[in-house]
Amino acid sequence: MDRVILRRLELLNQLSLTETQKDEVIAFFADRENDAKVLENIDTSNVERMVHVMPVMTVVREDIPSQPFSRDDLQKGAPETDEGYWCVPRVVE
Amino acid sequence: MIYTAKKDVNSACKIVAEDMLLTTDMPTAAGSKMLDGYMSLLEAEVLTILKDKGYGVCGKADVGEFAIDLLGETSYNGANTADGKLLNSSSEILKANEADAVIALDVNGTTRRAAAQNGLVSVKPTYGTVSRYGTVPVACSGETVSVMAKDAKTCRKVLDDIAGHDDKDGTSLPESEIAKKADAKEIKRIAIINDMMADVSDDVKANIDSAVAKLDVEVVNIDSSVIASSRPAWNILMSAELCNNVSRYDGVKYGHRAEKFSGIDELYTNSRTEAFGDLLKTAIIFGSETLSTENYMKVYDKALRTRRVIVEEFAKIFAEFDAVMIPACSKAFYTEDDVKADKYVSYKENFYTAPASITGLPAVVAGGVQLIGKAFSENALLELASKI
Amino acid sequence: MKYETVIGLEVHVELATQSKIFCSCSAHSYGAEPNEHVCPACCGMPGMLPVVNKRVVDYGMKAGLMLGCHINRVTTFDKKSYYYPDLPAAYQTTQWFAPVAVNGLVEIETSKGKKGVRIKQIHMEEDAGKLVHDIREDTTHVDFNRTSVPLIEIVSQPDLSSAEEVVAYLDRLKNLLRYARVAECEMAHGTMRCDVNLSVRPEGSDKLGVRTEMKNMNSIEAIKRAIEYETARHIDALENNTEVLVQETRRWDDIKGKSFAMRTKETAGDYRYFPDPNVMPVVIDDNWFDEIKSSLPEFPEVKRERYMSEYGLGEYDTEQITKSIALCECFEEAAKTCGDAKNAANWIISEVMSILNLRQMTYDMLTVSGKSLGELITLVSGGKVGRANAKKILAAMFDDASINPEEYANANGFVISNDTGLIDKVVKEVVESDPKSVADYKGGKEKALMALFGRCMKELKGNCDPQTLRKILIEYIDKI
Repeated sequence: MDRVILRRLELLNQLSLTETQKDEVIAFFADRENDAKVLENIDTSNVERMVHVMPVMTVVREDIPSQPFSRDDLQKGAPETDEGYWCVPRVVE
Repeated sequence: MIYTAKKDVNSACKIVAEDMLLTTDMPTAAGSKMLDGYMSLLEAEVLTILKDKGYGVCGKADVGEFAIDLLGETSYNGANTADGKLLNSSSEILKANEADAVIALDVNGTTRRAAAQNGLVSVKPTYGTVSRYGTVPVACSGETVSVMAKDAKTCRKVLDDIAGHDDKDGTSLPESEIAKKADAKEIKRIAIINDMMADVSDDVKANIDSAVAKLDVEVVNIDSSVIASSRPAWNILMSAELCNNVSRYDGVKYGHRAEKFSGIDELYTNSRTEAFGDLLKTAIIFGSETLSTENYMKVYDKALRTRRVIVEEFAKIFAEFDAVMIPACSKAFYTEDDVKADKYVSYKENFYTAPASITGLPAVVAGGVQLIGKAFSENALLELASKI
Repeated sequence: MKYETVIGLEVHVELATQSKIFCSCSAHSYGAEPNEHVCPACCGMPGMLPVVNKRVVDYGMKAGLMLGCHINRVTTFDKKSYYYPDLPAAYQTTQWFAPVAVNGLVEIETSKGKKGVRIKQIHMEEDAGKLVHDIREDTTHVDFNRTSVPLIEIVSQPDLSSAEEVVAYLDRLKNLLRYARVAECEMAHGTMRCDVNLSVRPEGSDKLGVRTEMKNMNSIEAIKRAIEYETARHIDALENNTEVLVQETRRWDDIKGKSFAMRTKETAGDYRYFPDPNVMPVVIDDNWFDEIKSSLPEFPEVKRERYMSEYGLGEYDTEQITKSIALCECFEEAAKTCGDAKNAANWIISEVMSILNLRQMTYDMLTVSGKSLGELITLVSGGKVGRANAKKILAAMFDDASINPEEYANANGFVISNDTGLIDKVVKEVVESDPKSVADYKGGKEKALMALFGRCMKELKGNCDPQTLRKILIEYIDKI
């Protein structure tokens, strides 16, 4: 981990770190090197990945529409709305 | 802060919800300035169930930012301390007899650490047996709604009341699976994993010895470096899922919006930078990096495959033993200095809680020790815990 | 030097489901009030969990089978992360590792003959919201109605080589997906959208040139123009070194008739895909697969052949009816009910299609059942209802598909009367009231008879067999 990679990760995650925070994050990543070594010792060569811990498949619902929430309620805590829309600074296309 | 909100309720059985559970009559902040004052339109399914069954939800307990820290010290409300000791809001409420039980979201072991350090009982049920609908999502593949109380009996009662299938949670197990809980056998043989006893203080060792002495079960010490590798694998999965789940907080739809910005990217960046704390920011950056094109196979996919190895290792152990006993934390209590010395100490201390988090296995904490059992064995674990 | 164009398409098609892919909000965003079809899940609030709409998987499978794909029996969903105001959770749930369908083949026909276009994959995903830029100058307005509406993305191999082929391919996709009734595929409604990946290389070369991706084309005509423009730009760059081609995303401006490089972020393309822990793998067992397979319609060309051989329809009639699966279904059922396929085809082409056109409905919007239409045709051919009244009944059936033609005819006095006494009475009245026309007719003017006939028919409200009326009228006049 270096400042160049870190800058990219900040941009990617919409965060801006202070110099101190950057040093701390870089130190955190250095710590993770040891963790990587722990994982290297686990033989996973013929192992399938496990995303879900419970073997349940095909959880689906019927195609029935419902609209229990109102726009006014959904926008109650909104920083900025106008005519039923959420608002952001103009996005140049 | 202990409570983020309080309410008068008239009920024989009082519940406090951790601030990771959404409520419609009290705000939910998940310990983050980002969600300060956030009023949800949803109520956590478990709280709806409990209210229907006559429980009273009388308040919200403060949590660390998105519940990934040690005991709640990263809340934007500040840490709870007494004489330099870190306190957990939920366990303080129980100790003060202000509620009969706390409903929490066990993301990274906070609930279990709090129970262990305060002589309380907590149960993290088998993944998929309690609905996660209406909880603030962080590490969805492993987090579960959990119960903490003063004794195993109360935990059992509340858990029995909230467990069940929910169509609104796509990872919720069918009733036929959840019913397997009734078949859990009495626990007679326990394994203590030597690798998990590394770096624990004498008081924690004493808790283990005392629990063993009280229980009328066969106890065998075994080695398992695989179980001990749960932490790094869990840290990867948890951070990546967290990074993705908290990306929704961007200052557009609700929550904190920076006052000063020019253009959409600054709106996002300033809002998130102002509202998020150090631990969360680092977790986001780390999680994001594990998913980058260069790292995905080497890091994230490796962690997913390690998860299967750990699950299989537990299966092997459970072929011979009914449960595993390990500590829930490295020492009797944490201090402010622990966090000052290392902001990311929860990424190390979760060594003890990661095995049950990454596998979705049930875990019960009592008498300062942690029991992990086969899937659906939580009632048998609680039965055993009542004797510690 | 001669050049050839190499084109691959990414086509997004909105699936015609009632509700969204992961939440139960209405999926009909077109024409709705802003943020009317929105819930905490599709505006990015915490707490709701995704549960897959089964019909989306049904339609994904159907689309895959129509386009000759292999169906992945275990299909999974993944998260794709990026920040943009139209993406409320800052991630899109899509299929990255195991899409529902792979390795298909679609046959197209152009002036150069037939050609196969390979399909790389079809994946299911959620749509993004809509941004509105023209309400206030400094602000973009965000509408999440379209967020999480189900889409399939159809990714072709770079097998296309001209605008003509692209248009033929899009028409073919539209036709097949409409036949399977999984999508509207209307570019003007945004229910079909297309990104064009294009490169140019010297003819015969096996090395691909620099590829550009073009977005923002919202009509077939725009796509044609964009391909022609972009091809010329690439060739110009290669021949005359006018510019250095770079792999980039370009926006088509149909008004200016030009493509422009889009501003891209430093972090563009870094989507950090990972499997969604909240969505369980979808396993398509044999029962489900067979159910979907057996629900598929005949391919249009199979139908065309059968209409000519089995029903004896001419080429024109066949072409007209097979434009739409709704017309086909109506025709086949009507032909079965009335037992006269040619008559049924006539009714579809001359009456049904003209009402659809008049009402500005697409053919697929037809709700009149073939059975009812067949019954109506039987009433006419059996002499029970006059043709003009039958048209009125058909119009009523368009308004209310549950109408039974015979009951409706009875209730509204549209049944032909066999009461010759009434006809005699009307003929007598009309003839006596218009001696001039009678005289004209007797003087050899055939037209005068038609006028008298028309007036009689009107008096009888159309409820009279024309042959019978004509016979009685002539006999009456002859007797004078």
